[in-house]
Amino acid sequence: MLCPYCERKCRLDGDAVGFCRMYVAGEDGIRERFPDRWCAYAVSRLETIPFYHVYPGGRCLVVGTAGCNLDCRYCSNAYAAKEDPAELADILLTLRPETLVDLARKQGCHAIVFSINEPTVSLPTLQRVSKAAKAAGMPMGCLTNGYATTLGTRLLGEIFSFVNVSLKGLNAAFCEKYLGIADSSPVIRNIRELAAHCHVEVTTPVIESENDHELDQMAAILADIDPLIPWHVFRLLPVYKMSNDKYPGIESLNAKLVEHRKTLPYIYFHNFIGSPWVNTTCPACGQTVITRHSLGCGGDKLDEFRLVDGNHCPACGGQIRLHGEKVTWNSKEATA
Amino acid sequence: MSIAILDAREWQQAVDLGTGRPVAGQGPKTDMVRGLLARHPFPGDRDPRGNTWVTDTALDLTAAYDPDFVFLTYARQYYSARYSPLHDGERAEMVAAAFAEAQRFASQSGYLTVVIGTCGMTPAVAGIDLTGLDGLGVAANWSTRYAGVYNPSPRDLDFLAKHDGLERVASRAEILELFGGGPEDGKRLPDYMVVNRTGRYFNTTSLRRLLMIPNAAPVMPVSTNLGPVDSITDIKAALLALLATHKKVAVAYLESVGCEDFQIPYTTCRNGLDWYRYEPGDAHYLTMTTGRHAVFSHNGGYRYYLDDTETKKYPFSGYFTEIPQGSIGQDYPGRSIAVGNRSMFMHVTTGCDITVECFARNLYNQGLMAVLHRDDK
Repeated sequence: MLCPYCERKCRLDGDAVGFCRMYVAGEDGIRERFPDRWCAYAVSRLETIPFYHVYPGGRCLVVGTAGCNLDCRYCSNAYAAKEDPAELADILLTLRPETLVDLARKQGCHAIVFSINEPTVSLPTLQRVSKAAKAAGMPMGCLTNGYATTLGTRLLGEIFSFVNVSLKGLNAAFCEKYLGIADSSPVIRNIRELAAHCHVEVTTPVIESENDHELDQMAAILADIDPLIPWHVFRLLPVYKMSNDKYPGIESLNAKLVEHRKTLPYIYFHNFIGSPWVNTTCPACGQTVITRHSLGCGGDKLDEFRLVDGNHCPACGGQIRLHGEKVTWNSKEATA
Repeated sequence: MSIAILDAREWQQAVDLGTGRPVAGQGPKTDMVRGLLARHPFPGDRDPRGNTWVTDTALDLTAAYDPDFVFLTYARQYYSARYSPLHDGERAEMVAAAFAEAQRFASQSGYLTVVIGTCGMTPAVAGIDLTGLDGLGVAANWSTRYAGVYNPSPRDLDFLAKHDGLERVASRAEILELFGGGPEDGKRLPDYMVVNRTGRYFNTTSLRRLLMIPNAAPVMPVSTNLGPVDSITDIKAALLALLATHKKVAVAYLESVGCEDFQIPYTTCRNGLDWYRYEPGDAHYLTMTTGRHAVFSHNGGYRYYLDDTETKKYPFSGYFTEIPQGSIGQDYPGRSIAVGNRSMFMHVTTGCDITVECFARNLYNQGLMAVLHRDDK
């Protein structure tokens, strides 16, 4: 049988575990090798993930499992995503869906976000968590590389109400060298599909001289899908197999984004400490309506939320795209 | 107003440390610090050049600012032992290299350099999982010895009492009594603090596999040139006394170096109170730099996320909501600097006029941060 979730469509016969090493063929179809096993759970800010237009100021429980279906040279969580999941089994936590949701509740979280590795490699577990979370009234979001089949994407859209898809590169040579995949057309297809069903933000890590020339094309693609998609352009932090590489230039990369801000009003440039390009301005009048601190990949943070009546610009009344309302950080503590 | 210079490699931004918002950040001292950061990019927590960076940067800053007091932290051997598989002699080589860096600073600067250790490292044997409690177990990422337990059920307390990996389950009242605190001091203490036996650690919020952990020794080594000190709380006063008689004094604080690793003549002082022993971390730094036990405000069981509101001050200072008062850098009237590769502790806990630290968080090297607390000396 072929894996139905990921675009690699690995053959899972006998003992074969596929590229991500998280699935195996069972008697009744595909089966998870490590169901309900988690690499971490941690309290974080939604802005940190990053989600800039989702429950601003909200607290989330960040979770992850193990394994990934891509082979990014700059993976920032290689200790969870690149290790053989079987080798991690002794330190993975076992948490039933209800226990995980309860951990989020006891820590005053407003949401659960899957963001350490790729959710496509743990879909059945996430479906169970989603059921428990929905019963508890707790929304779920994720980061995904978007390299899922149409079935996998449909499941992601059912499980998560907000998704940040990583659009890492476009041309085949880049995809092969830096991501270990043939091409990224499934990712674009899935951004379009997800944007029709849930809140979508997009993240693009930029490697100078390797994919920065594709920013124009990416901007055009996103504008075609939905010009109000928040787009997080990341200065790549060179880690894992790129740990000896140069840090990309900040001013030069930002210069490439200036024109695109006219057509895509929610472009952010960050993933480094002190970035001033993390604030939201009103597309209609240019007023700064949400300010944030850029604390690097250690996490961004809401500074000031100036919208009125939920999501309206205080100057012109124009609407700002938001999924969910502004949240007070400790508002769920009373239920802990 | 304290100014922070953020250096993200070939790009800098000045912010007001209190608000985190951009400021112009110009002036002779600020410009001097900007140049210093640009000349000394941080190589990384576990990089072989990590401790060399401390000495090089400190010598450069010492030459430019001419401080009387210098606080240095060398932490490469701590991060490496914690997360990198090391062969038998490799950790010893790293410890020796850390001593050599402290000595290099001393010989090239001419400062009387006091070397202070913390505690040694021991193999991480097995984790303890608190996720099954009816109440809430809170274990911080960098603390392995202590965790907090909130709203435990009788079943939880029975589970904890019988757990063979735990050395102690201490109630808030016990901790307050040990450190002489009143009810108001207990606001940041958990209902119960659970304490691991040596080699055990709490499964915390991070998956990174722990290889070695601090052994939380009852005593810590201090080089004999400081004179006798009975307790970690006496170090600040001893340093100030030394500064009164010597023109130039430096502290080289070697993370995860215990008595068994110490390579120069030393004396020992108590590393805590009774059963409570400091791990390397915020409370250890603060107790040493302020001369007061810091358990009430900083402990491994506190739910630090409660403080992380959008109105929290000092957004670039991690979970600190204020700059602690009474640190040695604040109390010493002469010029002072701190340089170290143990992230935010430099500017928060030392209170020195100018501090330089790596902006590496959870081993991700994002650059550097310098803080100018004082510009009037």
